[in-house]
Order: sequence, then C-alpha cells, then structure tokens
Amino acid sequence: MKKSVKLIGACTLILCFFAFSLNSCSKEAEKNIDSKKNIAFITRMNYGYHWANVKLGADAAAREFDVNIDYAAPNDEEDIECQIKLVNEALDRDNGKKIDALILAASDYKALVEVTEKAYDRGIPVIIIDSEVDTDKIHSYIATDNFEAGQKAGKALVNIAGTDCKVAVISFVKGTRNAEQREEGLMSIINKYPNIEVISKEYCLSDVKLAYNLTKNIISNNSEVDAIVALNEVASEGAAQAINEMNLGGKVKIITFDSTLQEINFLEKDIIQATVIQNPFSMGYLGVKYAVEAMEGKQIEKRIYTDSKVIDKDNMYFPDNQKLLFPFTK
Amino acid sequence: MKIRIISSIKSYFSRLINAIKTRSIQFVIASSFMLVTILAMFFVGITLYGKVSELEEQNATITTRQVMDQVNMNLDFYIRSMMEISDYLKDSIYYCEDIENSNLTEEMEVIKNSRKDMVALAVFSNTGEMIAGAPTYKIKDNINVWEEDWFTAPLEDSTILFFSSPHVENIFEGQHNWVVSLSREITLNRNGKKENGVLLVDMNFNEIDQICNKVTLGKKGYIYIIDSKGNIVYHPQQQLINLGLKKENIDDVLEHAFGKYFDEYEGQRRLITIETVNNSRWRIVGVAYMDEISAIKESIGDYSLWIFAIGCLFAISMASFISAKISRPIKELEKSMKKVEEGQFDVNIDVKGDAEVAQLSKTFNIMVQKIRQLMDQIVVEQEAKRVSELNALQAQINPHFLYNTLDSIVWMAENGNSEDVITMVTALARLFRISISKGKNIITVREELEHARNYLIIQKIRYKNKFKYEIDYQEEVLELKTLKLILQPIIENSIYHGIEYMVDEGFIKISVSIVDGKLLYQVDDNGLGMKKQVLDNLLLQKSKSSNGSGVGVRNVHQRIQLCYGKEYGLDIESELEEGTSVKLWLPIVKDENLGDNKNEKEC
Repeated sequence: MKKSVKLIGACTLILCFFAFSLNSCSKEAEKNIDSKKNIAFITRMNYGYHWANVKLGADAAAREFDVNIDYAAPNDEEDIECQIKLVNEALDRDNGKKIDALILAASDYKALVEVTEKAYDRGIPVIIIDSEVDTDKIHSYIATDNFEAGQKAGKALVNIAGTDCKVAVISFVKGTRNAEQREEGLMSIINKYPNIEVISKEYCLSDVKLAYNLTKNIISNNSEVDAIVALNEVASEGAAQAINEMNLGGKVKIITFDSTLQEINFLEKDIIQATVIQNPFSMGYLGVKYAVEAMEGKQIEKRIYTDSKVIDKDNMYFPDNQKLLFPFTK
Repeated sequence: MKIRIISSIKSYFSRLINAIKTRSIQFVIASSFMLVTILAMFFVGITLYGKVSELEEQNATITTRQVMDQVNMNLDFYIRSMMEISDYLKDSIYYCEDIENSNLTEEMEVIKNSRKDMVALAVFSNTGEMIAGAPTYKIKDNINVWEEDWFTAPLEDSTILFFSSPHVENIFEGQHNWVVSLSREITLNRNGKKENGVLLVDMNFNEIDQICNKVTLGKKGYIYIIDSKGNIVYHPQQQLINLGLKKENIDDVLEHAFGKYFDEYEGQRRLITIETVNNSRWRIVGVAYMDEISAIKESIGDYSLWIFAIGCLFAISMASFISAKISRPIKELEKSMKKVEEGQFDVNIDVKGDAEVAQLSKTFNIMVQKIRQLMDQIVVEQEAKRVSELNALQAQINPHFLYNTLDSIVWMAENGNSEDVITMVTALARLFRISISKGKNIITVREELEHARNYLIIQKIRYKNKFKYEIDYQEEVLELKTLKLILQPIIENSIYHGIEYMVDEGFIKISVSIVDGKLLYQVDDNGLGMKKQVLDNLLLQKSKSSNGSGVGVRNVHQRIQLCYGKEYGLDIESELEEGTSVKLWLPIVKDENLGDNKNEKEC
C-alpha cells in the first residue's frame, strides 16, 4: 500500500513537471518569435532627402509588418561596383541572418542584372524600387514613372517660361535609367514646341557643388538662358543656389525635382518656380510591403508607379500637398 | 537496458491487447477509469476555455476603454492648458488700453518660450493684419489669412473655440512644423477704438503625437483622432494616411459620438471604440484587432489541449496501473486455480490484495485444504479396504472354525456316525471351494447362498440340531452378483450370540429378495437379541466390545460400503428375548463381464 502511495506521488510529481515545462515552453516560444524575417534593403546612396524618405517609408512598413531591415548603400551614387558587392554580400550572408527578401534601388540599368537574377534564382522575393534593372527576373518594380515625371516637368516649363524660350537641362548621372527617362519625358514636351531651344545639357554626378558650378558656367556662357530644368534633388539645389547667389531669382526660371527643405525655402522665395515631387516614402513603404506579401506567397503586381506631382508656390500649402511636402518625421 | 525496456513495453502492450480481447477485469476497470477521467477533463477543459476566452474578451474591451480614457484625459489636460493660455491672453488683450503701445509682443514671446510645445502665438485684426506675434520671425509675404479656417471661423461665430486639423505652420518664414491651431475671437482696443480680432495659438503637433503614439491596443491595435468633419487629426501611420496608402472607415466612425462596434478591414475583424475629447470636437477612435484576442484564445486552446493530452496520458497510465494493481491478485488467484486444475494440491496462495480478493483467496485455500483432506481420507479408506479384504481372507480360513469342525468330524467318526461325517466333510469341502472360489471377490447369489447353507449344515451338526434354518429366495436373484462371504459372519453371529445360549430350539431364516431396486439379504433369528446399547455400537468403527463380538458383522458392513457406497450396508433390528433381524442391502449387479472386472479390481 505504501509503495502505491509512493508511486502515485511520483506520477503527480511528473505531471507537475510536465505542467511547468509546458509553461516555460510557451514562454520560450514567445521569445523565439523574435526571429523576424530579414530583408536586405540596398539603395543607390546613403544620404539625401530622397533616400531618407525612402527609408522612412521602409521603416514604417517594417514596424507594421514586423520585419528586420538591413540597409546598405554605397557612399557614392556612381559606385556601381560597390553596390554589386553589397548585394552579393547580402546574398551570401549565412550567419543566422540569412536574408528572406531583397529590395534594390539599382545604380545601373545593366550592371545590376547579374546579381538581381542571382537573387531571383535563389527563390527569394526581389523587389526593385526607384530605378529599373534590365531583367524580367524580378517580383515587382516600384518607382516613379520617370517618363511621365519628365513630361510633367516639361509642361510646368511651358506654363512658366512660355513656348518661346532657351532652356538648360541639368541632369545627374549620364546613362542612368531614371535620368534617361526623365530627359526623354521632358524632351517629348519640349519637342512639341519648336521655339523652345535646349541650349545646354549637363550632368552633375549627384554633386551639389558641381551642379552649382555648372549652373554658373551655363549662365555666364549663355546670358540669354530663360529657364533651367534640374532633373534630381542634387541638381536642383545646386542650380537654385547658383541662381540665388547671382540674384537672378525670377529672371531665370527653375523647374526642379523633389522637395528638400532647401528647395521648399527656395520655392517660397520664388527662386524655384515649380518642382516635380515624387513619393519616396511610398516607394520605401510599398517595397517592404510587397516583399512581405511575396514572402507570404501572395501574388503581387509586377509594376507599380507611385505618384508624381507638380508643386508651386501657390499650391504648396494645400492640405493634400503639404502632406506630401512635409513628411511626418518621428 | 534499452532492449529490456522495449521488451517490457512490448509485453505490457500485448498484455493490454489481451486484456481488451478477453474483456478482463483489468480492461473494464482501466477503460471505465479512463473514460470517466477523460470525460471529466474534457468537460472541465471546455468550460474553462469558454470562461477564460470570455474573460479575455471582456478584458480586452475594458483595457481598450481604460487606455482611451487615459488618452482622453491627457489630451483634455493638454488642450485645457492651451485654452488657459488663450484665456489669459484674451483677458490681457481685453484690458490693454492700446494694443499698439503695449508690451504684448514681449509677453507673448515669454509665454511661447516657456512652452516648448507652442510654435506660434499671434493676434490678427479683423482685417487680417497681424498686430502682434511670437516668434518674432518675419511673416511670410504670401500669406492670406482669409483663406484660413482658423481666421474666418471665429469671426463668423464669436462663441466658437476653433481647433484646426493638423497643418504645416505657414505664417512665419523658415518654419515648417506640423501644428494644430487653436483660435478664438477677441476684443482689442486699438487707437482708442474697440474692435474684434482673432487670437491664434499654434500647438506643436508633436505633443499630441507623443500623447498618442505610445498607446497600443494589443500588438497591432492603435488609436487615432479625427475632428468633427472627419479629418484625421492624428494617426500612428499618419504619413501612410497622408499618402493614401492606408485608409480608415471614417464614415462609420462619424455615425458614433461614442460607443463601440465591430468592423471589417482588409479581411480583419476589428473592435472600434469611440470617445469624444472634452472641450473639442475631436473623437478618439480605438482600433483593436479581434484576431489578437482570438490568438490569445488559440494559445489558451493549445495550452488546454496540451494539458488535456498530458492528462489523458496520465489518466491512461494511472488507469492501467490501478487496474493492474486491482487485478493482479485476482490473476494470481486464477493462476493458482489453474495449478489446482492441473492436480497440484499443495498450493497455498498468499494473496495480499483488497479485502474481497483476500477473502476469496482465503476461501480458496480452505477449499484446497478440504480437497486435500478428502484425498487423504480416500487414501485412508483404501487402506481400510485392504485391511478388510485381508479380514475377509482370514474369514475364508478361520482356523478356529476349521479346528472345531474337524474336531466334530473326529468325534463323529469315533462314534461310527459315518453318515454325519460324510455330510459334514462334504459341506466343509463345498464351503471352502466357494470361499476360495478362484480368488474372486464377486460371486453369484446362488454361490453365496450355497456357502451359507453349507456353513449352516456344519453348524447344525456341531450344535446337535439346536436350531433349524430356512433359506428363502426369489428365482431371479440367483444369478445376480454379490460380494462373497457376507452372510456367513452374520449367521455366525446369530448362532454364537443369539442361539447358543437359548433354552428353546433356535430358528434362522435367510431370505433374498429385490426390494426398492436393491438386493436384500435378510437374516432373522429368534435368539436372545441385543441390548439397544450394544446394537447402537455394533456398526460404529471404533467400538470394540469386550468379547470381540460383532467384529465380523462390522467387517461385512464396511466391505459392502467400501465396495458399493454409503447407501448400502447393514441394517440391524433387535429385540431382547425376541430375536434379531439383519438386513444386508446391496445393489443389483447383473452385468457379468463389466461388473466382474470392475468389482474384482475394486472390491
């Protein structure tokens, strides 16, 4: 009889042990949820208003969908080799932080094809944002419709400077897809008006100083320039600074891209007459969102264009526009 | 070790399967125990699960409500502090005699600097001209206050305290904060005239953001604030809302001033709770995701399932343990019984089980003991049979009788009584022939009667015709089989104890008949008879009369009973001075071969 009492006692102990271990088990399980999905997020540059906003959008999505994002970017927009290296590093990483998806803003239309396809062949979702890569082996492409944005800049130019003027174009890196498409869009409008003459086309290589100097050179070489179209934020800031310093504000009209604080100030001071704003926040946000959906096996759209919009001094404080111009930074 | 465990498990299972097949006690106990335990656990689990989930849901609702009350209080506090500032300014402007020559701007600067969350303070005349303002930045030249709600609304309705939607600060140069504007109509004295104007307080939106952004409802849930027109004042994903990447069902919310309801958003059920902020027309909207509550439910369900499974395992092992414990003594008992069945009577079960089983094994032990006793008794009886057979053998050649008879013959021969000698010798010869009868134990009734007659002939001559005899029988009994030499000891007894001392002539009657399906020998004499006491003791085994009388009679009785069973044997009636009647009951045995063989062996 005593023996059986002992046995029952032992069984109860075992049961208690089980119950406790179950308890601790569930706690451990909760800790293990920490193993979030990793997404490699590789952009063209690691500074600038545009990329900061892309990152803000990505961060918002990371918070919402509970994923880890590893940001990486070369210091210089032209450093294509460095970007390829970064993508390879991300793909070959296997120290427990293997990436589950790749989001890439390609520095070059052709050069990034190989690593993009490599990532695609690994079976991980590949989302290309901002600038295109010349391959079909991607899951989604999210960007501004740069041709359309170029057209918008062209229309703004016509509205502001009229159909009879001399125009200088400051683009960024020669041969990049975005620059080409914006130029094409712009030219498609300009070419409709035979009296609009493009007297100069320069590339500032994403260097504000260079853009500034280029603008000064253009003005001093061609005193009759009526308008400047700057095709990205760096070119825009450089051009506006130069015009502001030369006290030509309002005389030489400036059509720009993007909306850095400096650009907005210039817009308010009437140095810049219009700016085509993109939606970098949406790019970052949607990039991560679609990467997550692709990881979950959902069907996602192959090609998504985020809005672009022309902002001028009059409409900049419209409720809808101020939301675009002044992002909530937290 | 491993193999041993495996084999023990295997044997355990095979036993279990066996138990199920045979519906043994173990199986019945185990299965009913399991069934009851599992059912009970199931019931308790379901009930607890239901209750806990219900509580969890209630809890979620209460938590949401509490969180929102807290937010409401904080917002209320914040807004009230702003209103107090505006009250203070309104009063000081009202009592200021000439606003142009006052230190209002400095005062506003001090107030503004004392609070980080205040972006701008400004007083506008009813024509839209800014009279005083802090900070003292340059006012933007392209501003047109007539297009702003905060300017027009208080002028239209002087009682109103206007709260704007969040917007970018656009009055002063170089300032692009997101602000919420509070504005009201004021009365000011300018150039000795009373006129009305507008007081504007711009609050940094960050403050509201800070009050709200730490607030979460569960993991994914959040709160947002809308104004009376349905514009979103605050949202944790404000930028997404601004860019149209996310939407809220504002129309549904506008239908409720407070309360709660469920809605469906992107396939997810959400609990929407609405409260109105005091002093403003803002509404706080709490969004809690039902799938989180159901996730908790699920985890509770999982947990209960685990507990249930482990409980079941425990119940099964306990059930098999207990049932094995109960049924083990019974099984041992069964095993012992099997042994007994196989003929081993020396088992003694030492079962320490429960009361019933212990009792059972005790009784079983007693039974086995009884059987053993009976078997011992049989051995003793067999022994007795052999002794009695020896006795019968002795009776065949009773030397005393032979000696007396031969003495009589000699005596008759001396007297020349040759006829009697012949008769006697002939009878003696016949007597011995039958009595030996080739060593057989079983003879026919005819032979037995012949034996008795020859014995009577001899005795009659020896006792000089002191008695007469008569043998009476039915024809059909003559060929029946009978134990031999059973009449002679009775007759001897009659002569020696009944007739020898009689004064009158004695008479012995022997009759054989079938009565009640039995063979009946009856020996009647008219001798002295016996006392009741003697008669009662005569057939009892242990009794020994002083003169050894009755030994022969008792021997006959024993022989019959050993050979044919207890229902046969002797039946003696006796009356003093009247005579004795001895009845010998035997079965009717006809079958020669079988009966012969069998009887020869056994009797």
